[in-house]
Amino acid sequence: MEWNRKDLLSLYDLSGAEIEFILDTAEEFKKVSQRRVKKVPALRGKTVVNFFVEPSTRTRVSFELAEQRLSADIINMQAQTSSLLKGETLLDTVRNIEALQVDLVVMRHSTPGAQAFIAKHLKCGVVNAGDGAHSHPTQALLDLFTIREKKGRIAGLKVTIIGDILHSRVARSNIWGLLKLGAEVTVAGPSTLVPREFESIGVKVCHDLKTAVADADVVNLLRIQHERQTIGFFPSTGEYARFFGINSDTVKLMRPDALIMHPGPINRGVELTGEVADGPNSVILEQVTNGLAVRMAVLFLVAGCVKK
Amino acid sequence: MKKRLFDVDEMAAAIDRVTDEILAAFPAGEEDPVLVGIHHLGVPLSERIRDGIARRTGRELEIGKLDISMYRDDIGDRTKRLPVIEETSIPFDVNGAAIILVDDVLSTGRTIRAALDALVDYGRARMIRLAVLVDRGEPEFPIKADFIGFNVKLPPERRVAVSFGGSPFAPEEPGIFETDWHLV
Repeated sequence: MEWNRKDLLSLYDLSGAEIEFILDTAEEFKKVSQRRVKKVPALRGKTVVNFFVEPSTRTRVSFELAEQRLSADIINMQAQTSSLLKGETLLDTVRNIEALQVDLVVMRHSTPGAQAFIAKHLKCGVVNAGDGAHSHPTQALLDLFTIREKKGRIAGLKVTIIGDILHSRVARSNIWGLLKLGAEVTVAGPSTLVPREFESIGVKVCHDLKTAVADADVVNLLRIQHERQTIGFFPSTGEYARFFGINSDTVKLMRPDALIMHPGPINRGVELTGEVADGPNSVILEQVTNGLAVRMAVLFLVAGCVKK
Repeated sequence: MKKRLFDVDEMAAAIDRVTDEILAAFPAGEEDPVLVGIHHLGVPLSERIRDGIARRTGRELEIGKLDISMYRDDIGDRTKRLPVIEETSIPFDVNGAAIILVDDVLSTGRTIRAALDALVDYGRARMIRLAVLVDRGEPEFPIKADFIGFNVKLPPERRVAVSFGGSPFAPEEPGIFETDWHLV
């Protein structure tokens, strides 16, 4: 296997073999966090900038901890404190960052493609930590890692993603990754948020919860953003919960070994009840643990990419 | 150009010699050392040493394996392809243990430097010794092997390649060879 990407922008760009390579690498990084000394010197002497133009807590903390466990030096920048507010262009801001001899930029931005744009102009590596509704590759990788760890494989599994598919970078990234690794994907939710057009990328579209979860090996729930309700995609979160929320009765319709996943933060009583979130099928907190391992693997690989 | 230095029988005899030296240094009745093989070829070599000790003395040494990829000092500078990180497994308490690190070839000493760093992160060993099948004799670091199968002097541009026969899927001739680096 040859890894020669200086950036990780989207799972859409990667081959199935490259995705598997990241997951394999992450397995060994997961063990680092279980040791007495939870740190390796892999990125010693390298500097990583976490540039979050859109707010983030869990992804930023996960990246930051991953960088610390790899012994990298870290700078955290947020939009509120950056010169973007003073009128500097994005490209000028990141060029200034690069002029400080930085090795990697981890970036979140609300504009789809922002990372791909700066990656083209920078010699240092760029890791996408979420760009608008487009892509969130490390979230999808940690979901794939969790599924593979629990089920032993991904090919042939039936995976259902429920929620606001239309606006979700997590859904898109998961769909690309799952399809490349041979899973069968169904997307489900209100028809305003799960348009039929998704069929054109090779997934099934379903607007009935019971049908969607009946024979699924994995049910991945996306967070319902309250702001969507105010612009009329669905009448109320209460109604969403009644039609698409997972409660213990829904779980009884599912395969007993089905995994229930959620990228967080969860809205108890909306996407799922507290009972289900804390129940035996839920792997939500393991996803968080695995996110750290996957991000360590991604940073290690892009930092160690073969120089041409 | 590939040239055979030692055949499979000479290699087996050298592994026996290394095993003898280890047994002489750690006689029965004292606390057993543990073996830690460094990926890739230190792992099968450590298994053969363990099996040899068990066959001759009945002593069952504990064994671990170590991948040093996360401890290298050339990440980001390398021009070779990135290796797959293999499994690290240290299934015993390193604190107070006598560890014998096992690798196929001692060349620059940089792999051993990384392995020492890695082991320190698992605990405070009482002692760490080094067993190798081939010692090239010119390390770049102040690192020396304690148990040695063969001493081989070659110019740095020549590579020493050890083979235990490859895998069932990719069999290769077992033995110790001298090759060009670009054949890696």
